[in-house]
Amino acid sequence: MKSVVIAGYSRSPFTLANKGELIKVRPDELTGQVVRGLIEKTGVNVEDIEDVIIGSAFPEAEQGFNVARIVSFLAGIPKTAAATTVNRFCGSSMQAIHMAAGAIQMGAGEVFICGGIESMTRVPMGGFNPAPHPGLYKTYPEAYVSMGVTAENLAKQYDISRQEQEEMAVESHARAAAAREAGKFDEEIVPIVDGNNRIEKDGCIRPETTMETLAGLKPAFDANGSVTAATSSPLTDGASATLICSEEYADANGLTKMARIKSIAVAGCAPEIMGIGPVPATEKALARAGLKLADIDIIELNEAFAAQSIAVLKAAGMSYDNTNLDGGAIAMGHPMGATGARITGKVASLLQREGKSLGLATQCIGGGQGIATVLEAC
Amino acid sequence: MAIQKVAVIGAGVMGAAIAAHVTNAGYDAVLLDIVPEGAGNRNMLAEGAVKQMLKTKPAPFMHKRNARRIATGNLEDNLDMVADCDWIVEAIIEHPGLKQDLYKRLDAVRKEGSIVTSNTSTIPLKTLMDGMPDSLQKDFAITHFFNPPRYMRLFELVKGEKTRDYAIEELREFADKALGKEVVDCYDTPGFIGNRIGIYWSFVAMKSAFDLGLTVEEADAVCGKPMGIPSTGIFGLGDLTGIDLGPKVNASMLNELPESDPFCQEYDENHPLVSTIMKMIDEGYTGRKGKGGFYRMNKEGGKKVKEARNLQTGEYAVAAKPRMKSVSAAKKGLRALVEADDKGAAYAWEILSRVISYSANLVGEIADDILAIDSAMKTGYAWKYGPFEQLNQLGNQYFIDRLKAEGKPVPAFLEKVGDRPLYKEEGAENLYMTLGGEYAEIPVAEGAWMLADIKRGKEPFMSNKGASLWDLGDGVACLEIHTKMNSIDQDVVTMLQEARKIDRKGFKALVIGNDADNFSVGANVGVVLFAANAAMWPVIENSISEGQNALMKLKYAPFPVVAAPAGMALGGGCEIVLAADAVQAHAESYMGLVEVGVGVLPGFGGCKEMVIRALANKKRPGGAMPALATVFENISTAKVATSAEEARDMFILRDGDSVTMNRKRVLADAKAKALSIAEGYEVPEQAEVSLPGPTAATAFDMAVSGFVQMGKATEYDGVVSGEVARVLSGGDSDMTETVTEKKLLQLEQEGFMNLIRNEKTLYRIEHMLTTGKPLRN
Repeated sequence: MKSVVIAGYSRSPFTLANKGELIKVRPDELTGQVVRGLIEKTGVNVEDIEDVIIGSAFPEAEQGFNVARIVSFLAGIPKTAAATTVNRFCGSSMQAIHMAAGAIQMGAGEVFICGGIESMTRVPMGGFNPAPHPGLYKTYPEAYVSMGVTAENLAKQYDISRQEQEEMAVESHARAAAAREAGKFDEEIVPIVDGNNRIEKDGCIRPETTMETLAGLKPAFDANGSVTAATSSPLTDGASATLICSEEYADANGLTKMARIKSIAVAGCAPEIMGIGPVPATEKALARAGLKLADIDIIELNEAFAAQSIAVLKAAGMSYDNTNLDGGAIAMGHPMGATGARITGKVASLLQREGKSLGLATQCIGGGQGIATVLEAC
Repeated sequence: MAIQKVAVIGAGVMGAAIAAHVTNAGYDAVLLDIVPEGAGNRNMLAEGAVKQMLKTKPAPFMHKRNARRIATGNLEDNLDMVADCDWIVEAIIEHPGLKQDLYKRLDAVRKEGSIVTSNTSTIPLKTLMDGMPDSLQKDFAITHFFNPPRYMRLFELVKGEKTRDYAIEELREFADKALGKEVVDCYDTPGFIGNRIGIYWSFVAMKSAFDLGLTVEEADAVCGKPMGIPSTGIFGLGDLTGIDLGPKVNASMLNELPESDPFCQEYDENHPLVSTIMKMIDEGYTGRKGKGGFYRMNKEGGKKVKEARNLQTGEYAVAAKPRMKSVSAAKKGLRALVEADDKGAAYAWEILSRVISYSANLVGEIADDILAIDSAMKTGYAWKYGPFEQLNQLGNQYFIDRLKAEGKPVPAFLEKVGDRPLYKEEGAENLYMTLGGEYAEIPVAEGAWMLADIKRGKEPFMSNKGASLWDLGDGVACLEIHTKMNSIDQDVVTMLQEARKIDRKGFKALVIGNDADNFSVGANVGVVLFAANAAMWPVIENSISEGQNALMKLKYAPFPVVAAPAGMALGGGCEIVLAADAVQAHAESYMGLVEVGVGVLPGFGGCKEMVIRALANKKRPGGAMPALATVFENISTAKVATSAEEARDMFILRDGDSVTMNRKRVLADAKAKALSIAEGYEVPEQAEVSLPGPTAATAFDMAVSGFVQMGKATEYDGVVSGEVARVLSGGDSDMTETVTEKKLLQLEQEGFMNLIRNEKTLYRIEHMLTTGKPLRN
């Protein structure tokens, strides 16, 4: 089987939905600029691209109309390349990478652009015209359970205090703020041009976050609960993209190999505790790679909620010390469709930066799923 | 040259709010202030004021977007911004020298023919214009607004000796029609009318309370509603306006008034109340903006407890609710109040005798007539009756006799009046007493009348206990609701049904409006509760059908119907507005479908109209849900628009519906609108809409159950909004089908009946009837 590598990773700045600097930027335009930036950075020959695979959690309106094709046109990718939009909610753009990896391994293409898109400002979570199945909602309301409630459920199930959650939030912001300060995001960010504006810095990170400021907040989802807005990832606008190709192609064309995709997995779980999804997905992916968790040097675990992340850390036996080194989604933001490619690309770049050999990217998915990717330094 | 653009200099509370009100009227404003020492942002005062006003309650803006119509700047760099303004209002500190310096600078940049006015509250015009060039004097006047300018209707207009007439007429026209103000012409005397009498009244009311040994609560209980004065009374009003303001305005008036004025004569700087007030100010007890004032809210222990200050000891204790014979007697009128046998009666007499005498001596000196003085006190101080209307209630002869008996001087004007009333109606004539002691008709300006002016000396052409039909002339009829609080009961519904037949009497249009403070507060829920307690379900069901039918018939009548709301139009009142072909609303209209507050849903077509309007809105994003979600949110949270402009955002007003700024012009404008639509009027076609059905109701249920879990809604809120959701989503309809108005009305009725049968709804109604507040059960 062919070996698959990540040969490039870029993203837009991540900024707060409804108030950040990207609110006026259409998500297709945003992603188009990120993909163009990735192409320029990697120097890939666009004529060789087989497919452009873009993940979006709510692929409608400006994220609809097979937005991957629109992004291709905006990014100047030749008409000969195909394009598809995929939806696995928050796992959408990691799924995009998995699809490319599978295609490459079965000889169905050499070079893929895999990214994600979400303007939570311009396409609301839940979409413009929510139309749930009335019968299913009656017999199985868990199918539509709200994300905040799933975090509350995990907090109860794993006995996670509000203080623990807030400690994680403070640490996440501190790490992200330090990384931003040290310019560690500069390499991955494609500055976005919007008329006369140039947006190049992340906007969700709050370096001033302390335990004291967080303690005053009211529960966001359950009057008697422990999850607050500050221990949840914020609504975010952002886009991400990776260059996925066969190792042979990368070698033959002089591309920079960041990491090799060693194994992938998806798994289902109960929707009302969807946040635990990374645990079964990681187990499967590690087994397929013939590895144990202890072998993994670096982890990116999407922080949908602090309670959810802590539950995963506890259940899987992971440590926060080698997880989310530059901060997680609580600080960085979580533009749903764009997160998967961000954290997978992030693990690849961290393996390079930190000189480590094995990494894991994993995240939970609404409706009760997990997705995981194991990477190996090249 | 008509006024199109207004500059306000001075971004203090008054100046900024005047600029805001100019934008409420639909005009652009410029707001300038000084550059504070060491300011980083040189426009910080004006910019800060606009920003602050977006948070101020009650809101100076009728719509938040109006803030964008104020261009801000500073007096050093941006004086040229006034160059294209037609009217420049000065609202800086009360310092003649500083004002004159500013006028000179303005005069250098303003355009020819522009008008400059001062919003001074006490300084006479001749002082301000002393030594100013003639070119400025001819364009200068005093225009005095009352705080807050959006809500207080008084606009005092003072003409200088050299002011050109046309400038005065332009100001009058703009203040009346655009700003919606009651323009009162005043002579150039200190404090003009409102503050001249108001400051004296305030001084008398506070001092007498102390002298006669009334507590703060007792004084306010008397000097409030029983006297037709806002329920803040005198001490509560001090807290509201700021206690530190008192000594400032007193000093200014003492400085400006001649020594012979009763205020100067009676004011005693050694009075113990004066030192009490100074001490309160020193300690930061400046009223609501400070640590508290004559009252304060004690929030210790997580509960808000209202406390009142003991004027003698300065200590606070839980505010008492005084029971006084005089206060109960006042229900029978002012005469009963002052004749009761307690200190409240003595207190009321003390205030009335002094303030009325003071006012009577000023007729001819501060204004032409008693009309101006009464009008100023009603629209500037929100008194229900002006001093001469109070006097009319007491009886002039009684007043004179009692003054004489007490050895007090009787004003010459009142002697002249003798035993005649100051106001009287004779047939269609509405008369007042002139300074010369003769009766003259109260003028009614064209296009500025109330229904009372039409009704005087006439009979309605149809009437019952709840409503009447009047002839407004020119083929336009008016339906007037006149129940208690203008609530809607069977009588009103009957008259709505009768109104459908006015074309048979030769009318070509109908206006629905009245003179009351509130257009209608909604259905008479007391009647509904009674029927529900007796399980008279068919009766309730039938009353819903009748209301629905009456409004449907008016909507599809062969003549246009124009609703003319002012004040509150809630629940069923709002549904009447929604059924009209067009609306001519007073700018201060507060409309909304508030039924869920009493556990029911809009059953007279309110849900139906909202669904149709939201779906017809061209500006909405695609799909049915965004439109329905807005309606669902408005109805299920009982949202009320805080202005007519806000009601547009809620689809209560549509394109083509209009807003009138001046309350007195609402009916005239509505009549004009009705006549313009009547020309070639075509009956609208019945609406049919496509609705998503159960999937939409499910989406709303999901959202509501989230709010319930968050603790932002109760379980029963969930039940009530579940019924609302079912109506708005079209019941069992499907997106491939269409829903008629009739079907939507059926759904409303079903939803209403489901809720009225629930005892929790009955608890809500009972609670509303007994406390006036919604129950969140």
